[in-house]
Amino acid sequence: MLNIKNLHAKITDGREILKGINLDVKPGEVHAIMGPNGSGKSTLASVLAGRPGYEVTEGSVTFDGKDLLPLAADERAREGIFLAFQYPVEIPGVNNMYFLRAALNAVRRHRGQPDLDAGQFLKAVRAKLKELEINDDLLQRGVNVGFSGGEKKRNEIFQMAMLEPKLGLLDETDSGLDIDALRLVSNGINKLRSPSRAMVLITHYQRLLDYIEPDHIHVLSGGKIVMSGDKTLAAELEKRGYAMLDETAA
Amino acid sequence: MTAKPETAPYRAAFTAHPADALADQRKSAFARFETLGFPTRREEAWRFTNLRPLQQAYLPGTATASKPDIAAYAFDGESYRLVFVNGRFAPDLSHTGALPKGVRLDNTAKLLPGHQDLAQSLLDDTDTAGGQGFAALNAALFADGYVLVLEDGVTLDHPVEIVHWGDAPDQSFHLRNLIKLGTGSRATILETYIGEGRYWTNAVTLVDVAAAASLRHVKLQDEATTAIHFGQVRGTLDRAARYDGFVLTLGSELSRHDSFIRYAGENAECGLFGAYLLRGAQEATNMTVVDHATPHCTTHEVFKGVVDERAHGVFLGKITVREDAQKTNANQLNKNLLLSARATVDTKPELEIFADDVKCSHGATVGDLDEDAMFYLEARGISPDEARRMLIEAFAADAIDRLEGEPALRAHLAAHVQRWLNVARVPS
Repeated sequence: MLNIKNLHAKITDGREILKGINLDVKPGEVHAIMGPNGSGKSTLASVLAGRPGYEVTEGSVTFDGKDLLPLAADERAREGIFLAFQYPVEIPGVNNMYFLRAALNAVRRHRGQPDLDAGQFLKAVRAKLKELEINDDLLQRGVNVGFSGGEKKRNEIFQMAMLEPKLGLLDETDSGLDIDALRLVSNGINKLRSPSRAMVLITHYQRLLDYIEPDHIHVLSGGKIVMSGDKTLAAELEKRGYAMLDETAA
Repeated sequence: MTAKPETAPYRAAFTAHPADALADQRKSAFARFETLGFPTRREEAWRFTNLRPLQQAYLPGTATASKPDIAAYAFDGESYRLVFVNGRFAPDLSHTGALPKGVRLDNTAKLLPGHQDLAQSLLDDTDTAGGQGFAALNAALFADGYVLVLEDGVTLDHPVEIVHWGDAPDQSFHLRNLIKLGTGSRATILETYIGEGRYWTNAVTLVDVAAAASLRHVKLQDEATTAIHFGQVRGTLDRAARYDGFVLTLGSELSRHDSFIRYAGENAECGLFGAYLLRGAQEATNMTVVDHATPHCTTHEVFKGVVDERAHGVFLGKITVREDAQKTNANQLNKNLLLSARATVDTKPELEIFADDVKCSHGATVGDLDEDAMFYLEARGISPDEARRMLIEAFAADAIDRLEGEPALRAHLAAHVQRWLNVARVPS
């Protein structure tokens, strides 16, 4: 589904951050990308989602066989890539429901489906809320405005559920969450796992992986994947810390 | 005093103006206009304003064939509606229905002959304050306008809707309006200014809000983009009175809205809000001058500007807190979005404080659309065009939403902001 080959990227007018990433993600798989601060984890998520400010200098990325890199961020989203933000943006004056309906209808149009009217949309919202076991107190507010850290992350997962992407990129979704919020958000992510949907979890800590069991774990360091393995790799990292990378390299 | 040369073309129009009950006042008003002439950029209140479009003389004319097209602007709800065409009342297009007891709503020309008291309220010699020669010209030449008078304790159940349509080529329309609210009364007014072609609308509205009375005064200015629009409001607020003014500026090549508010009693409150959305070569100024002459009064000002292409937006806000006006609470905020590299904004929020126990603040910002917000919306599949629209709409809504207790009016204004956004953009 997602094929990344020798991906090099730099900050526009800045230094190179990604120095040759190779990654294959198949439908239904959950990959965790771990690594120390500054290793390029969030840059990888940004480059895949099409955030302005980065420049790909080498390599390729295909998504469902299609070249991803020429596509703008909104086109990538409509193709089925969803980025759950590490820091969801507050947008005062834009109502959460209004925003989400605009997004959903944009995605639906791209899939050749008719727009949902207000009634149909509300019905779909209710169904997803129930499925994710979250309440609707956030919906009538401005997008992320005044939300707590946990509420913002919950809103990201709810959006992902509504938009039904093929690929979810979750950028440090566990950061800033207390244990209850982490459980709630992880529970939501687990419910969204399906044989046709892949997920890439980007995380600094292993604790998210106590709740979401990945199929593969990769360790990113210095802009490259330096180690890959199954779920047991997380436990080892937890025990020995990212310092083990140096030992391995030595 | 000698007459300024630019006033000369208006002399003949004034001489030709039929004499009425106000002939003496009109004469002295015209003399003030001749002395003042047009403002120049040396005057602080006009230093950002390019008056080049007024180099051509726009003289008041007689009735001209007109094709008013006002349907798209009609308020979607019940209202008492007065329509004016080219500066004159159009009874066929108006409907006031049965007005509640204690309400007088009529056009100025009709009321003038029999009501000397109202005529005096309509004209006084304060309209030259701040070098406002155009208000003096208005006093000399006005043909019509509207008068709303509420007796004590009367609440008007629906908004008064005033629509002015202009399309007489190269003419000027001078409208003189009077709003007088008795003690404890309440009213809402929606003024709409629209038209087609090249013309000049020059409206002066005198507002007198008695003790504990409340007025919501909303203006939608969407004149033809080849037209000129000047509007001036001069209001006096008595004890515990409330005035909420909102101006949505979308039209005109050159426009100005000046609000002069004076507190004449304690515990009065005033909100001056507005949004201006400009493109092409449009130029629009919003000026507010608030005089805190009495203690315990509150002023809130929020103006939001969206300026695209080569347009120019100006905000001039001045709040004076006099020595006796202790416990004044006043704040001013002007925020602007520049959507193009050639768009410009001048903003000058100003506080002049002579009392020591007051709470006052002011601020102004000029910036671009928030890139992080744009990316967030785009990352959800929303196109850059739509994302941009959503953010601009939200930006303007922040001012519109200050109009408390008027959901239908807010929706009306928001719909016109959306209509503005729907016009295809010329890439810069």
